[in-house]
Amino acid sequence: MLRRRFVSALTLLLAASCTRDAVHTAAEVDDFGDPIVVKSAPHRVVSLNPATTDLIFALGAGDRLVGRTHWDVYPEAAIKVPDLGSGIRPNVEAVLGAKPDLVILYASKDNRAAASELRAAGVNTLSFKIDHIADFYHAARTIGRLLGDSARGARVADSVERTLKRVRAATQSLEKPTVFWHIWDAPLITIGRGSYMNELIDIAGGVNIYGDMRETSPAVSIEDVLKRNPQYIITGPEGSRKVSKDSRWAEAQAVKAKRILVVDTAIVGRPSVRLGEAAESLARLFHPGKIN
Amino acid sequence: MPSRPWLWLAMAGVLAALAVISLGTGVIDIPARDVMRALQGSGDPATMSIIRNLRLPRIILGALVGAGLGMSGGALQGTLRNGLAEPYLLGVSGGAAVGAVIAFAFNASNAGIIALAAFGGAAVAVVLALLVARAAGSAGRGDPRTLLMAGVVIGAFANAVIMIALANAPPNTIRGALWWMMGSVADSSWSALPWLAGFIAVGSALLIYWAREIDLLALGDEPAAALGVDVESSARRIYLLAALLAAATVSAAGLIGFVGLIVPHIVRAAGIRSHRPLIVASGFVGATLVIAADLAARTIRPPGELPLGAVTAVLGVPFFLAQLRKAA
Repeated sequence: MLRRRFVSALTLLLAASCTRDAVHTAAEVDDFGDPIVVKSAPHRVVSLNPATTDLIFALGAGDRLVGRTHWDVYPEAAIKVPDLGSGIRPNVEAVLGAKPDLVILYASKDNRAAASELRAAGVNTLSFKIDHIADFYHAARTIGRLLGDSARGARVADSVERTLKRVRAATQSLEKPTVFWHIWDAPLITIGRGSYMNELIDIAGGVNIYGDMRETSPAVSIEDVLKRNPQYIITGPEGSRKVSKDSRWAEAQAVKAKRILVVDTAIVGRPSVRLGEAAESLARLFHPGKIN
Repeated sequence: MPSRPWLWLAMAGVLAALAVISLGTGVIDIPARDVMRALQGSGDPATMSIIRNLRLPRIILGALVGAGLGMSGGALQGTLRNGLAEPYLLGVSGGAAVGAVIAFAFNASNAGIIALAAFGGAAVAVVLALLVARAAGSAGRGDPRTLLMAGVVIGAFANAVIMIALANAPPNTIRGALWWMMGSVADSSWSALPWLAGFIAVGSALLIYWAREIDLLALGDEPAAALGVDVESSARRIYLLAALLAAATVSAAGLIGFVGLIVPHIVRAAGIRSHRPLIVASGFVGATLVIAADLAARTIRPPGELPLGAVTAVLGVPFFLAQLRKAA
């Protein structure tokens, strides 16, 4: 947040010093520091991030989407939107070919060049780095406004926020189990403090055993997981099969006590409109019978 | 071999000591007494599980892989009369990686399937290199350099195929494939070890049996032919076996670089020239090097692990350069 404010201050200075393009009143910037320009509501939107695609459908603007990434398959209706390939280093020609009047990118370094190219081609392009839950609120409000429905953007953000607050309140006084989130098996990847999933565990009343690691998705060793000995292992259906039949995991207390929790990636897989649902389902898994 | 008993004792001693240290060291340090107890199947079940299900299989896998790569390199360098010859330079790594990456691209997550695909890819690349060399060699009469060149070219081709296969793959597939390509013994399990052990036992026994031929080949084509060796078929046979030996290690642990290249140099620097002891000693030194590198890979930056193939290269290259300096 602080950095965003710093960047906007910087842009303000820059805007003040150059008189050429001082038409926008608010010096609001996206996560690349590019100015956010609100024009008339866009009708052809390309969203190259699963989280924003999901969000745009929730904002009731799914029918305006003319492009998505290969991995944006939620909600189900998103599958009908043309697949433009990768959202990291996207194919700029393919994006331009969709004739968008708004492109939404994930603000990772890899996309810096694409954002500049699209802007140079005269396409309104905004980049959001949605890694944490607060980033989602910000994106929901901003994208709602861009799409011409600020109220709905605020409503989506507020409803997620309300659910998360409710879940946090419900789990606050409960004992917090330790949890290991098994994302991938070779290499063994989990989640660290850099991920919204770490926040979800916290809100749902659990303690991520790798919450001390700064990375988003650090690789760790089985031995170290055994040492930290989590009470629960969260994973997908395939991860669950693997962990439960692998002899190396056999002595983990979560495996012995059959506390491997299977989560639905359709719900927990993106920092988007289903964050509230995700936290709720995790809370039910961590605290069976105690969450209504 | 019996001429330097102390040298053999030292090699075996270092290997054994390192294995024991490695068993007791990790994110959880386990005292030697508890290590012994766990090996005998008693004591704390968690400790027992770490020793018997995690560390022991990976140390054994590391030893097998190191031994296989070392012996393969020793045989190849003699046969091709080139100190740069190593299994990975001859297309084995590229072919294996293509096989594995194709398996990854098809979402294979079963380790056995990936291993089979890697072995298949390596075998295809090796046979291809032999055929290319043979086609070219009909003019130039079985020059071992042709074989090296064929291997290098096939390796380059394989790299291109890998890039294409991974160009638009999802992040986790890329991470999995890269991790595999950087080599690791972390995913060792008891079920896979007997296959590799059997393969390496048979392969190394054959190499040791053919070591006299390698001695003669190392003299040069003319002298070898004069001494009654069918140079071309003999070189091809040894090349094929050495390459398949390396392919088996690759299929079990991914690409672990430099072991096949540097280990024979280390052994020669210790004064061993004849190929029978050289191959055996390369097995010992290779096993030691990989166990040491794996110990470093899993303890330097916990809780994560470093890619084993990169650690062997980082440890091996300075050593190799020092050897080169001494030799020059």
